[in-house]
Amino acid sequence: MGNGKKTELEHDYKAVGLKCGIEIHQQLNSKTKLFCSCRNELQGTREPDFRVLRKQRPVLGEEGVFDKGMLSEFLKKGSVIYEGYYDCTCTYELDETPPFACNEKCIDIALEISQLLKMNIVRELHVCRKNYVDGSVPGGFQRTMELGQDGKLLLKSGKEIGIENIFLEEDAARRIETKGKTTYFRVDRLGIPLVEITTTPDIHDPEEAREAAYRIGLLLRSTNKVKTVIGSTRQDINISIKGGQRIEIKGVQKLDWIPELIKNEVHRQKILIEIRKLLKKGTITADDVILKPVDLTAIFKNTECRFVKAGIGRKSKFIGLRIPGFNGIFGKEVLPNRRFGTEVAEKVKTIAGLKGLIHSDEDLIKKYQFSEKEIQLTKEKLEIGNEDLFILLLAKGQPLETALDVIVGRCKMAFDGVPEETRQAKDDGTHVFLRELGGEKRLYPDTDTPPIILDEQRIVRIGDTLGPYPWDLIDEYGKKYQLEKELIEDLVMRGKIPLFDSLISIMPDNSMLVLRTITDMVKVLHREEKNVDNLEERHFRELLVGVFEKEIAKEAMEDILRVWTDTPNVTLTKAKEKAGIGSFDLSTLDAIVEDLIQKNLELVQSKGRGAMGPLMGDLMKIVGRGAVDGKILSAKLAKAIGKISSPVKGKNGKKGKGTQSNKK
Amino acid sequence: MTEKENYLGYKSQSIEVMKKFGAKTWSKVEITTDNGTSTGIILPRNKFSKDGYIEIKLKNGYNIGIPVGRDTQIKVLGEVPPMEVSFDQDIPPKNKNLPNIYLIGTGGTIASRLDYTTGAVIPAFEPGELYTAVPELSDICNLETEVAYKLLSENIEPSYWLVLAKKIVNLGKKKIDGVVIAHGTDTMSYTAAALSFLLKDLNFPVVLVGSQRSSDRPSSDAAMNLINAVTVAGKANLGEVVLTMMGSSAHDYGFIHRATRVRKMHSSVRHTFRSIGITPLGMIRDGDIQYFTEDLIHRSPKSKKKVSCWPKIEDKVALIYSYPAMKGEILDFYIDQGYKGIVFAGSGLGHLPSKMYPAIERAHKKKIPMLMTVQTLWGYTGMDVYETGRELQAIGIIPGKNILPEVGFAKMCWVLGNFETYDEIKNQLLTNVAGEITLGESMNGYQILQGVESSIPQKNV
Repeated sequence: MGNGKKTELEHDYKAVGLKCGIEIHQQLNSKTKLFCSCRNELQGTREPDFRVLRKQRPVLGEEGVFDKGMLSEFLKKGSVIYEGYYDCTCTYELDETPPFACNEKCIDIALEISQLLKMNIVRELHVCRKNYVDGSVPGGFQRTMELGQDGKLLLKSGKEIGIENIFLEEDAARRIETKGKTTYFRVDRLGIPLVEITTTPDIHDPEEAREAAYRIGLLLRSTNKVKTVIGSTRQDINISIKGGQRIEIKGVQKLDWIPELIKNEVHRQKILIEIRKLLKKGTITADDVILKPVDLTAIFKNTECRFVKAGIGRKSKFIGLRIPGFNGIFGKEVLPNRRFGTEVAEKVKTIAGLKGLIHSDEDLIKKYQFSEKEIQLTKEKLEIGNEDLFILLLAKGQPLETALDVIVGRCKMAFDGVPEETRQAKDDGTHVFLRELGGEKRLYPDTDTPPIILDEQRIVRIGDTLGPYPWDLIDEYGKKYQLEKELIEDLVMRGKIPLFDSLISIMPDNSMLVLRTITDMVKVLHREEKNVDNLEERHFRELLVGVFEKEIAKEAMEDILRVWTDTPNVTLTKAKEKAGIGSFDLSTLDAIVEDLIQKNLELVQSKGRGAMGPLMGDLMKIVGRGAVDGKILSAKLAKAIGKISSPVKGKNGKKGKGTQSNKK
Repeated sequence: MTEKENYLGYKSQSIEVMKKFGAKTWSKVEITTDNGTSTGIILPRNKFSKDGYIEIKLKNGYNIGIPVGRDTQIKVLGEVPPMEVSFDQDIPPKNKNLPNIYLIGTGGTIASRLDYTTGAVIPAFEPGELYTAVPELSDICNLETEVAYKLLSENIEPSYWLVLAKKIVNLGKKKIDGVVIAHGTDTMSYTAAALSFLLKDLNFPVVLVGSQRSSDRPSSDAAMNLINAVTVAGKANLGEVVLTMMGSSAHDYGFIHRATRVRKMHSSVRHTFRSIGITPLGMIRDGDIQYFTEDLIHRSPKSKKKVSCWPKIEDKVALIYSYPAMKGEILDFYIDQGYKGIVFAGSGLGHLPSKMYPAIERAHKKKIPMLMTVQTLWGYTGMDVYETGRELQAIGIIPGKNILPEVGFAKMCWVLGNFETYDEIKNQLLTNVAGEITLGESMNGYQILQGVESSIPQKNV
């Protein structure tokens, strides 16, 4: 996982009162989007046909805290450009047309998932709006509706965890890039249907969390009605411990990150709680941490520290801030290679856009080349006592003011322990501040859409079509087809069970080959960047029938598939030709083998079965790559060699030396 | 509270269940049915929604509808006081360097606040409220506001146009630099055209403005449109009625349209208003105005004349859209109902089915003026070209040239209210009064692109 070291921390999760909840967003695989008839398909890197500039404004609510300063700050953040396509995005995505009727197929898929999760289904759906002014939705809000409550999920351990809710909603536009003050979003992703599934926080250990996320993913895939491409599933986890606070970690891309993230977060919260205790023991209170910045520019204008000197030259100020009682706190490690000071710096970077916070728990001389004198003068000017810490910031204008507010605010929060936050997962098991959790999006009814009544017949109809649970299916198939569970799980995850089902009847005794054909062989071609989407059921069917009827050697299968990825509409015969696979008349095989043996008599006589290796290679060259099943060739060859190396084989005849059993 | 208030929007089946447990709208309840238990606040229901459901807002903010019946159990946990929503009123002091603008509201929500519980949109209209919602205004003008009436624009009638005209006349007596009228977009162009006819000696801009996306949405065009309108009203050197809305789908620039040549051309897009047959008068972007033509009526600061208006308006006028097999009885109906004037939107160059002729003759005998306009919106009536047109003129149809159908309607209402004889009326209809008839149409007057022009290669000439 990444290149970070795995922490050696171990925790008694029960004792710390760990509570986790998982939140999964999964794109559905309907043909069209949720509220319009555009194709439900991302366009990758295809160049957009048009771009439209928009600006969004926050809306006043009941507690309309909306003053001129906030608005101007907001407007300064710049504009958004929406990119779209003429053939697969419409005026709905650009918020120029009201929503069309909600896609019934999407509701059906969501109902299927809800019933698999044993949820109580809402009988009258009300579409609500969730406001987002970051530009990710052109309308300024996402349409979302609650579909079910109070469901259950069975884990491998036999424990049942609660599924709190399932929602059906639109995905947002995808961020392409930010250039200066303008952010580009592409609306192909906007409107793609999503289900959001949230568990209750009754997961109490990291492995269980991973297992729960995995089981939900497996369950979703087993419907074969969800997208399986990268990015179609997004996972977030909520974590809290006794005495701590609920932290939401977003963007957990791989399941394997989950236990590490939880481990690290438990540790981080423990340390923050310790910091709180430490602070409480001292004489300082939160109220003593005040915003009293001091301009130290004059002291540092000739400093050896190059970036500070350059910054001052560019009219930035070098500001000092005393944080009483915090000596040693900033230096405390909360995560591997991350200190409390790093936490504060990251928050400053995210909110104020300012990088590089300096504090006195660092080795100021070694790290920054500040002089003893500069530090001494700073301490005097800021009135730093033994228990105090000071911060140094190089900045100017609004970012400076915001940064100072963030620092003071975060230090005050330290007296309460763990602040509630939303954080972004990183691939090394750590995570960084993303935003305050309290900035929760308000929900209100969408007056553009009518309520949607779900009648009992519809719910029953869908209930009747539910397939088996994937874990039960995996057990069943494992026994029936003698296949390893991991392999069947892989089929489920890739949505290939229906394909397997339709092909297995061709050779029910060789389930492994059927499986390999539709998974491993495709994987190889995918890695070669071949267009595997061109391969359809008919291709696999033709191929397997051909193998069954011995017209195609197993060895030739991948080559034929490769041809079909480029030219899917050629016949099997043509594909064979294109793959350079010759036809071979099996009746000539005996003569060829005899001939080969005669030509290599010495080798055979001296090595016996040991001659198999080199001779197989020769034989294959003669016969032609992939023209004949290798098993057949090696059997013939072995037989012929056997005749030579042990011409007389009585009942007690020993086999010649160099015997090798030849398993294929 | 009255029964109606206690069960806002609910019908008998639902009310029966609520009454049984002492629950009403705004009660915090726990409802148990076969499908489980939910806790939340009972919300008012839309009166067109199905009976037999109770709508609640859950703790997580989502709304759901629960079917209720005999087996439903409701436990009332408390009451939620109805929301008191008010705006902070923060009026900046008058700035004598800024123009004085008067904003008249007719019912559209140019600025509003959201009630998050019900989704209701609470209009902001007092200057203080507007400044709170659109603080940029305080850098552009000194604003006073008045609500003339609160109507959905599809319900506005000709008499309301006269109310507005009279208010503008009164304002003209004060020291103002421009008037902005906030209006629903459905019939905004009718009102704009009517005011062009009703007002005389207008010495400042009268700017009609609205929003295509209501102002409770973050994506609304309301603020930008309002800012543009107020800027035009304050500093544009115009002495006529104009309409300003977004010029493209982007939040980029607004167009300034002449009131008698503008029309709503799309049911929902932001840039739905287009000038027909001419280009817009100008555009406004980030506070800067640029004109596309010199054909403008300017302010006349030296003039001693104050704005005045014609005294009356007629509302018994019909706008009839021609269609195949339209029968004379349609027109007979209007004649029998006492309609004073008819505006036709005829096919092609201004044609009607010949089965209409007897009724037309009957109307003409009664001296009911009948104005012909074109359904195609672009182009002129050409009633000398075909026999049909000549026939129609002979039996009393007055060719409207290139007046738009809706503008023709407004003009007819004005003309009938303020002129007596048929000949005077006919003369006024044939004369260009406020830019509604143009002398010609330039080659860029007809602008309908088909979306494929860019893929058609230019021929080398």
